[in-house]
Order: sequence, then structure tokens, then C-alpha cells
Amino acid sequence: MNNTAVATSEFSRVFRFVLQELKPRGKWLTPFNVISIPVILAGLVILYFRFVYGLGSVTNLNQYYPLGIWIGFDVVTGVALAGGAYVITFVVYVMRMEKYHSIVRVTVLNGLLAYIFYAGALTLDLGRPWHIINPVIGNSFGYNSVLFLVSWHFLLYMITMAVEFSPVVAEWAKLEKVRKFLTRLTLGAVIFGITLSILHQSGLGALFLMAKPKIHPLWYSEFIPILFFVSSIYAGLSMIVFEGTISHKVFKNLIGGHDGHQYEEIILGLAKGAAITMFVYYFFQALLFVHEKRWELITDFWGYWYLLEVIGLVLIPCCMFAYAVRHRKIGLIKVASVLALLGIVLNRLNVTVIAFRWYDVSKYYPSWEEIVVTLMVVFTEIWVFRWIVTRMPVFEKK
Amino acid sequence: MEFYTYVNIFEQKGLEYLLLLSFLALFIFLVKYLSGTGKNAPVPGEKSSTAARARKR
Repeated sequence: MNNTAVATSEFSRVFRFVLQELKPRGKWLTPFNVISIPVILAGLVILYFRFVYGLGSVTNLNQYYPLGIWIGFDVVTGVALAGGAYVITFVVYVMRMEKYHSIVRVTVLNGLLAYIFYAGALTLDLGRPWHIINPVIGNSFGYNSVLFLVSWHFLLYMITMAVEFSPVVAEWAKLEKVRKFLTRLTLGAVIFGITLSILHQSGLGALFLMAKPKIHPLWYSEFIPILFFVSSIYAGLSMIVFEGTISHKVFKNLIGGHDGHQYEEIILGLAKGAAITMFVYYFFQALLFVHEKRWELITDFWGYWYLLEVIGLVLIPCCMFAYAVRHRKIGLIKVASVLALLGIVLNRLNVTVIAFRWYDVSKYYPSWEEIVVTLMVVFTEIWVFRWIVTRMPVFEKK
Repeated sequence: MEFYTYVNIFEQKGLEYLLLLSFLALFIFLVKYLSGTGKNAPVPGEKSSTAARARKR
């Protein structure tokens, strides 16, 4: 048989295999399906109206409040929570800490899906979404714009994570030669990905530098890119702990390569990293507090709101992480990770939505359609994640 | 006309330097704290703190 015939038969085998795998598995009538399917369908209907009649037909956005929860939660928060991928790949492939190798695949998958869905949600929020291609094709380049950097980085990082995850797909499709070739690309992709992540995590913060008069001075700072970058590290680590906890319950039949003790050690290591990063982040906040004399601003509602975020959802979870690591309390680490995640969500929403134009009497509140579409994005991501982990070798096998 | 005065802790950013020094001291303490093991912590490999309590008894 010549090469062309071999390639054709291999292609048709993979095609039949993928078709076979697309068929649904398991029970249909689960609580998650019952809740998520109507939400996804409703979201699709809302998106139809959004693209046919424009943003104004389904959102409460206007010229004064151009950023709603589609940007504030999906894009800005979602990207911070996806930070676990670059942290773990750095720890495993650069620092060579093999202890965390068993969670690399699932973390990279989570990161990849988060960028595809949450950064992809950016297109929903653009008034003219077809212009999203402009930074790539060179039409009206804005070389000096932070958004130019962020858009290129999002695109490149999605490709990089796809390369990092591609050996899993090749292994699933039983393409051994392709898997070997793709595995060789991993280290290069990881280093490139870490560089991109550091720049665009801080770049997302830099987007808000131009909104100085509109963001409450307790949240605005010229160091906002550094704050965004540092907080993305512990956001990612907390997200891994949170997702790991859920995955261990939901996919317990798929997980089993490492025993309970090894899993505990991984969680403790992640919590240690989170405690140190949160401490650094808290110090930055304290330094800014003194440098910008913020004590003059903490006597009203916004001050208490700021203290809730910085003390209640940064300092307290940081202490909880540290105590839990010292005393090996896994349950406390899980609680601390939820608090830390809430802190990140609150911080990003404060910068983009809540403390944005804080002086206005008529504030922006998301419409129910915006909330449904946000839930739709989250649920769809979980559906795709579930489809992949139940078919591809993402978790270590028993 | 305003004068710069070396005894004003805000103008000379003294508070920020103090904060920085305290951060460095606390950071070392935190890393040492995280590297150690608590009194009642279970030995690595033990399922829960129940074992530690049993050991204590």
C-alpha cells in the first residue's frame, strides 16, 4: 500500500472513531442536566436577539456603562481564574516538581476551555463583533493600545494551550507518532505560554489605567497591572483546589492513579503557594494603602466594601491557608480556596462594574438576560469539560 | 510656600520603608511557619486529624 492509501485509511479510522465518541454516554436525567439544558437553550435565544437587534435589546449597557458582567465576570474574572494553567505548567515543566504532574492535563484543559469560552465571550460584548479580527489582519492596528496586546495574547495563548493539550487528543485518537511529535513541542509551548500569561494577566489590569477618573480611588492604582498579575496566581491555585474537590466527587470513577495521601500532598502544596502569593498581594495592597493615603477614604460604604474585599477575602483566607498547611487540614484549605475565589470575583467586579462610576446616581445593574447568558457560558464550558474528561485520558487511570 | 521636612514620616515615605521592612521579616516568618508541622497535625499519610488525636491520647 502506498503512503496516500495508508493516510486515507488512517484518516477514515479517526473520523469513524470521533463520530462514535460523539454519541452521548451515561444518564441524561441528572440534576446538572435538568438545570443546565434550559439555561443553555434560553441563552441561545437571548444571543439570537442580541446579534439581530443589538446589545441594547438584551443588556443594560449604555455609553456610560460600556462594561457589564459579560466583560467583568466572563472575561476579566474568568481569565484570572484560568491562571492555574500557567502556574502549574511552570511548576511541573520548568521547576521540575513532578509531584504535580498528575494534575497538569486537567489544569491545562480547564485553562484552555476557560480561555475559549470566557475570552470568547468577548465577542458577545462587542458592538460590532466582526471587527474582532482587526488586530490580527492588520486593519486599523492600535500598536499603542493595551487591547492590541491583550487580543494578540489571548489568541496566541489559546493556540499555545491547545498545543500543550494536543498530546492527550492524539493519545485518545491512538495516533502514537503524532503524540510523540506533539509531546516534543510541550516545553517550548509551556515557556511561551508562561510569558504570554504574565503579560496579558497584567495587561487586563492595564486596560483600566485609562479609566482613572471613573474608578473609585480605593481600586484605581497605577500598579493595577501588578495587582492583577499577582492575584491571578493565587486565583489559579485556589481554582485548582476548588475544581479538584468537585472533580474528585463527580469523576471519582475516572480518578485513581494517585492515592489519597498523594492527593493531600498536592492540595497542601497548592495551598502553600496560595498562602505565600496572597501574603505578597496583601502587602502590595497595604503599601498602596499607605502610599496613596487611602485611610481618608475608608469611612464610608466604599471603604467598608474595600475592607471586606482586602481583609475578609484576602487576609483571612491567606491566614486560613497558612494555618491549614501547618496543621494539614484539607477541609479548611477547601473553605479558604472558596473565600479566595470570592475575593477575586469581587475584586474584578469592583474594578469593572461595581466601583466603576461610583459617583453616579443611576447605577448599572445587569439585566436578567445578561445573567442567563453568563450562566450559559459557564454551563456550556462544564458540558464540554465533562465530554472531554469522560472520553480522553485527562485523569490518571486506576 | 511649602517646605520639605525630614521629620515628616509621610513626606520622606518613612511609613512605606517601615512597611517594607516588616514585610520582609514577616515573609521569612511565614515561609518558616509553612515549612514546619503543627503540634497536632497528622503525620503525612494519615487519613485525618482523628489519628493525631488518638496518638495524643
